[in-house]
Amino acid sequence: MEDLKFIGQPITRIDGKEKVSGAAIYADDIDFGPNLLYAEIVESPHAHAIIKSIDFTDALKVDGVINVFTGKDFPYKFGLYMKDRYIFAQDRVRFVGEQVAAVVARCPKVAKRAAQLVKVEYELLPAVLDQMEAIKEGADLLHPDLGDYVHVPWFFPKAKTNIAHWRKIRKGDSDKAFKKADYVLEDTYNVPRYAHCAIETHVAIGKFDHSGRLTVWASSQSPFTQRHLFAEALAPLGITHKDIRVIAPHVGGGFGGKAGVTMEILSAALATKCKGNPVKIRWTREQEFYNTYQRLGVVCKLKIGIKKDGTITGLDHKIYWDAGAYVEYGANVVNAVGLSAIGPYRIPNVTIDSVCIYTNLPPGGAYRGFGYSEFLFGLESHMNRIAKHLNMDPIEFRKLNAIKEGDTLAYGAHMNPNGLFDAINKVKAEIDWDKELKSKNPDKVLGKGFSLFWKAPAMPPNASSSAFLKFNEDASLNILVSGMDIGQGYLTVMAQIAAEVLSVPPHKIRVENPDTDRNPYEWQTVASHITWSCGNAVKKAALDAKDQIFKLIERTHYLHYDMLYLEDEKVKCKTKPDFALPLKDFVINGIQVEDGTFKGGPIIARGVFMPEFSSTNADPETSQGGHPNVHYTVGAAALILEIDKMTGKMKVLKAVEAIDCGKALNPDLVKGQLTGGLLQGLATVLYEDMRYNDKGKLLNPNFTDYKLPTSMDIPDEIVPIIIEVPQPDGPYGARGMGEHTMLPAAPMIANAVENALGVRITSMPITAEKVCMAVLSKK
Amino acid sequence: MAISHEFEYIKPKTVNEAVDILAKYGSKASILAGGTDIVVKLKETPFNPEILVDIKGIDELSKIEFSNGVLKIGALVTFSELIDSEIVKTNFPLIHEASTTVASIGTRNRATIVGNICSAVPSLDSGPALLVYEADVIVKNNSGERKISIKDWFTGPKKTAIKEGDLVIGLEIKKPTDKHGTSYVKLGRYRGEDLAQAGVGVFVTESNNYKISFCALGPVPVRATIIENLLNGKSLDEKILNEAKELVEKVISPITDIRASKEYRMHIAKVMLERALLKAKERITSVYHETHDILGG
Repeated sequence: MEDLKFIGQPITRIDGKEKVSGAAIYADDIDFGPNLLYAEIVESPHAHAIIKSIDFTDALKVDGVINVFTGKDFPYKFGLYMKDRYIFAQDRVRFVGEQVAAVVARCPKVAKRAAQLVKVEYELLPAVLDQMEAIKEGADLLHPDLGDYVHVPWFFPKAKTNIAHWRKIRKGDSDKAFKKADYVLEDTYNVPRYAHCAIETHVAIGKFDHSGRLTVWASSQSPFTQRHLFAEALAPLGITHKDIRVIAPHVGGGFGGKAGVTMEILSAALATKCKGNPVKIRWTREQEFYNTYQRLGVVCKLKIGIKKDGTITGLDHKIYWDAGAYVEYGANVVNAVGLSAIGPYRIPNVTIDSVCIYTNLPPGGAYRGFGYSEFLFGLESHMNRIAKHLNMDPIEFRKLNAIKEGDTLAYGAHMNPNGLFDAINKVKAEIDWDKELKSKNPDKVLGKGFSLFWKAPAMPPNASSSAFLKFNEDASLNILVSGMDIGQGYLTVMAQIAAEVLSVPPHKIRVENPDTDRNPYEWQTVASHITWSCGNAVKKAALDAKDQIFKLIERTHYLHYDMLYLEDEKVKCKTKPDFALPLKDFVINGIQVEDGTFKGGPIIARGVFMPEFSSTNADPETSQGGHPNVHYTVGAAALILEIDKMTGKMKVLKAVEAIDCGKALNPDLVKGQLTGGLLQGLATVLYEDMRYNDKGKLLNPNFTDYKLPTSMDIPDEIVPIIIEVPQPDGPYGARGMGEHTMLPAAPMIANAVENALGVRITSMPITAEKVCMAVLSKK
Repeated sequence: MAISHEFEYIKPKTVNEAVDILAKYGSKASILAGGTDIVVKLKETPFNPEILVDIKGIDELSKIEFSNGVLKIGALVTFSELIDSEIVKTNFPLIHEASTTVASIGTRNRATIVGNICSAVPSLDSGPALLVYEADVIVKNNSGERKISIKDWFTGPKKTAIKEGDLVIGLEIKKPTDKHGTSYVKLGRYRGEDLAQAGVGVFVTESNNYKISFCALGPVPVRATIIENLLNGKSLDEKILNEAKELVEKVISPITDIRASKEYRMHIAKVMLERALLKAKERITSVYHETHDILGG
């Protein structure tokens, strides 16, 4: 390995001082002056209904109201992977909270008061709230025109059903494998919906000026994708990509919820009708729960066959997703899981059916983990149960079947280099797995839980990143990229990569949040791909700059290109030890040669990365043939859980998680992700739970009853472990790890509960009440 | 989130001024003290008073006084002030302990114990402590002052004995004379701030006199008189604890809601009673220390 100066170092976040000091500006902080207008959204109170009429005459009479807009003003569709939704509901509403109209006024109070005066007449339709009901023959249809919807080529909607996409894997013969197996375990696992709960709710401000320029300021993970979707949706108004500018200030957390486009389209569209005035929408916490994206709910029917020696012979995983009223983003969660629902195991015979089902609940979409937490809950619970049946240690059983580099994946491609076994062994040692545990308190029992995890980025095969890099007079740098720092430390790591190539320390590098007019293209900050993908683009840009520098030195100083290198912000030469030209001497103003003229000029560089090996071309009936996933990141985790037998109350005494991130570009940030992600995962299994009534209304769109753990609820001890088996195509060997860290939490808890109490819980969340009642019913 | 409807706002400086305003506006007036319930209601529900009477300007209501064995808590005294009061901690430890479990520090810095009993949600943490100490609610209107015993105060979920034109000016509580220990055990879904899914307050004297009260396990907080009668005069052993637990079903009437099921509440109320009794007993002789994890987790 080359000698690295900035990569692998715990560099302090370059945006840290800005955020800690309060200097950081978020979308809601921006002052738009006295012409700012506010929009209040009139929402559907029904889960499924036909809009008969909308009467807003009374609302228009309220002093301060500018105008009221409805679906009639915007008969335009939008969507990321499938165009299945309109900016405002047209003739039909499909979930409680769906936008039906907007009142635009000079102040938010007036807008809210007037919105209460908009009268909407509905004709109720039967609401389809359960995905298992929605796929039955004769179920009421949410989208009768599904067959006509525009979608990406790797989706397979079934017209005249509620099935928006069906990802099938057929590899080997799983039926035959079950017949040959010595033991087959079959069960169903249920995972409810979850909310991201970023501390900052969605905010978007749109401004359409008198020259026809549309600018949108948004708390966003996806400024370029948003620009593209705005351009597609608003094309009938004559607006093109170059007319749209998305400015993304600092973001107060994303977790997938600010990817793609949700409420931002409202500000963009309303602005086009209020020329010259910025129009602002800020979601309340309630709206943040029910009208952005939610993590999809799922019912997994899992069947695994095993030989007596512990070898897995086959897997049949039927995964039924409650994807909500619109699946323009969520259907890709379904797709991603369909490709990967074997987990990190070597399984010769595989049948997977991952089915995306419309329901009259809020739209499902991206959420940290992109579906992997959901299926791993069942799969990793299953692995423990099988090991128990075989009387094998659950870790040894997993090692017997764990995937290795070169093994064939479910869709036929081969597994990338990885440190899964190293992760398993390190976790096992750190948690002292073989040690007997016994609580000193007679009311309490202790249990150990273990889980493996894996995940690949889910992205279009041509999702790309790009970077501009420019030197300043003092050889400091500005790097322009369009990913978002959503807490992971992306901006800092991009600086570290350029620093390593150019020998300029990170504190001399400025990397900021993007403006689509100025910064180069980035697909989205999702899929844990940004460090890998944009990191490659930044590295290429830095290499481009280095190339320009060396060529200039070669032609001005007559030194051989191959003998040049950068060190301490100077160009040096292997064959001429006394040569050391500071970058600041020439990166803007060039180099003066003998005749008094100058050569060179400002060093401005570019880098682009696209995974040119990726492809979604595959047989839709088997998914064999393509290379849809660029790589998998793997890991292992374990915990010790203390349970009060009489109350069911649980406490994690120690948790250990190891992840193979290829190369920890910044180990502090990796450890931060490991800790934070694990806590988020523990929250989903122990406390959080979206609850709907029988009319499809969310009962807990608030933190009173949607419980996010506090600092008092964190485990006593968390040990993050970094494994580094380099990703060959990653920047300095790095691969993504942001989402993965939450994946093992739920099955670990389920396995620890079973270990401690002998009860197996197959539905999330695993609350104190659920554990207590399970213990009581066992008695 | 904006408050979209309009209302008058008035901030009287004296109790007399306040009760005159309340007499004038009757049911159209609402009282604002800490505001932690009412402001949320104003923002999120159709609740629309004609006038909001802000009593925060009435200095005389912000005192904690203790003389002749009687504690007076003014209507503006916050939970944080109760927690910080050495008088309360030393002489009324159950009020101290229950106060530490109310919401979060930020909310406790504004929320008042009087506001808590006026909102009268079934899960109110102050309920068991006040019932056990047999507090009096001091109410004033423009025709005079009267005392309402806390046992007659709660008339239903979010309903109290308060009448139109009344202002609750404070609480009065007599200090128990016998040496005793207390314990408030609250069931929440996690360690962070939560509304009680069940709560039990216990008071035990050295001579085995018991006072027990539950909250969040019925429409109003209740004293468990039949359990007290069973236990009075007896020391705690496994047999008597089991008998006490059996009586719990006769005292409480829990429901299933989004926070917990009826069955879990019924089960855990018994566990909580047992642990609260033992903890209160232990505290008669030991130094008081907070034990939020008495239920585990």
